[in-house]
Amino acid sequence: MDNFVQIENFGRIAPYSQLFVQGVIVTVMLSVFTVAIGFVLAIILSAMRMSNFCPFAFLGLDKEGHQKERGFGVALSKFNPLSFIATAYVEILRSTPVIVQVAIIYYGVFGALIELPSFTFFGFIKFERFFPGVVALGMNSGAYLCEIMRSGIQSIDGGQTEAARSLGMSWLQNMRYIIMPQAIKNILPAIANEFVVIIKESAITYTIGVQDIMSAVNAVRGATFIIIEPLLVATAIYFCLCFPTSKLIAHFERRMSRGDKR
Amino acid sequence: METRDKIIQVTDLEKHYNFGAIKALDGVTAEIDKGDVVVVIGPSGSGKSTFLRSLNLLEEPTGGAIIFNDVDITKKKYRDESGKWVKVNMDIHRQKMGMVFQHFNLFPHKTIMDNMILAPVKVKKVPVEEAKTKALALLKRVGLEDRADAYPIQLSGGQKQRIAIVRALMMEPEVMLFDEPTSALDPEMVGEVLDVMKQLATEGMTMVVVTHEMGFAREVGNKILFMADGKLLEQGTPEEIFGAPKHPRLQEFLSKVL
Repeated sequence: MDNFVQIENFGRIAPYSQLFVQGVIVTVMLSVFTVAIGFVLAIILSAMRMSNFCPFAFLGLDKEGHQKERGFGVALSKFNPLSFIATAYVEILRSTPVIVQVAIIYYGVFGALIELPSFTFFGFIKFERFFPGVVALGMNSGAYLCEIMRSGIQSIDGGQTEAARSLGMSWLQNMRYIIMPQAIKNILPAIANEFVVIIKESAITYTIGVQDIMSAVNAVRGATFIIIEPLLVATAIYFCLCFPTSKLIAHFERRMSRGDKR
Repeated sequence: METRDKIIQVTDLEKHYNFGAIKALDGVTAEIDKGDVVVVIGPSGSGKSTFLRSLNLLEEPTGGAIIFNDVDITKKKYRDESGKWVKVNMDIHRQKMGMVFQHFNLFPHKTIMDNMILAPVKVKKVPVEEAKTKALALLKRVGLEDRADAYPIQLSGGQKQRIAIVRALMMEPEVMLFDEPTSALDPEMVGEVLDVMKQLATEGMTMVVVTHEMGFAREVGNKILFMADGKLLEQGTPEEIFGAPKHPRLQEFLSKVL
């Protein structure tokens, strides 16, 4: 039986190291753009989920303007379409595999509905494959980040809101000055975790031909029929990307919590 | 005889859960005049806190009316004299009602000074320097001027509650609502908080206090409300309530707590 790892194989895949370098650049860029899209999307979604937008509120009021107690009108008056849409989005995105979502965005949305200009940037990144990958991953991480943000905001003691509102602050002022500063501190570990997940999950985009680290592995395998060694190289690269990221965010976390525990 | 200005008129206030299966408030009618120190007493679960929290709509009542400054704040909107619909802006009314909570609810991520000036600066647009001067004067009054730069976690319970009281005073409210302000305190700290409240009362602040401190009710209150099972069973002066209680529930309650 052969050895699991043959050292000389590393020498045989060395000529392809440029592919791995390109893969790292693509993976990092994928992650950065995904985080940006996901973050913006998550803020919008969590705001929608927690909004108080009830267009049929008037159906729940009686002639004098009082809130009625029961009836079909009351049920309808509490319907919040923004929250419904955001909840549906989050649940669908969280309950389906990323690989399916990536394929649907690439083959479905950008394959049939929207035509992307095909050009390469940085000399090797194919825009028409990179862009759908970023969109799909961003949409997916937006759903997860939304849930993290919502739970973080809702984990703040209700007494804080009561105190702020009893001082005459509006809903928005309460959010901005009281809830968000405390919530961000609480959700930082979960967000750090999500960032690391995004870096790792971006590997899925090799299925639509984005030249990330995984696609470098496949290219080397196709050219040399060596499989384990390129995989080990990819493993090492992913670890070197993810581990410092989580350590860096842990560092910020410690700095932020310095203020309140003295 | 002194003139009595009504500040809050509560009529038939109801708070029902599960379509009336649970009645936290069951037709409470009371009025609060300017300068009153109204003390609400009663066994736990009697609806005292719900009543108090309804006054500034932290709990939304399901029936009845609360007239505050001539506006029924339980309605989402009302018709003015010309017949136009006007929305009731609760934020405006809440600025005029200070509230003190059982668990203080100071903002843990802000210093004492920032806790105090946040609402005046952001809501009433008071200049920062002016708010700070006022905050220092108020802190001096409660003997905590040296803790202005501390964080709430560094203070004792009694200190936190005194800060919570002056934080509410920063908004210059017309009426102060106290929701069991001493119930979460160690016994030796109750006195310092009650002293601040007594001082406020002698200055003529209108106050509604939910408390289990019968000594405070008797000494400082000028009107006592006794609640049980969501109903207002008896009200009167401290002499009437503590000297000659009429309702059997009140007699039973007093025999247990006194």
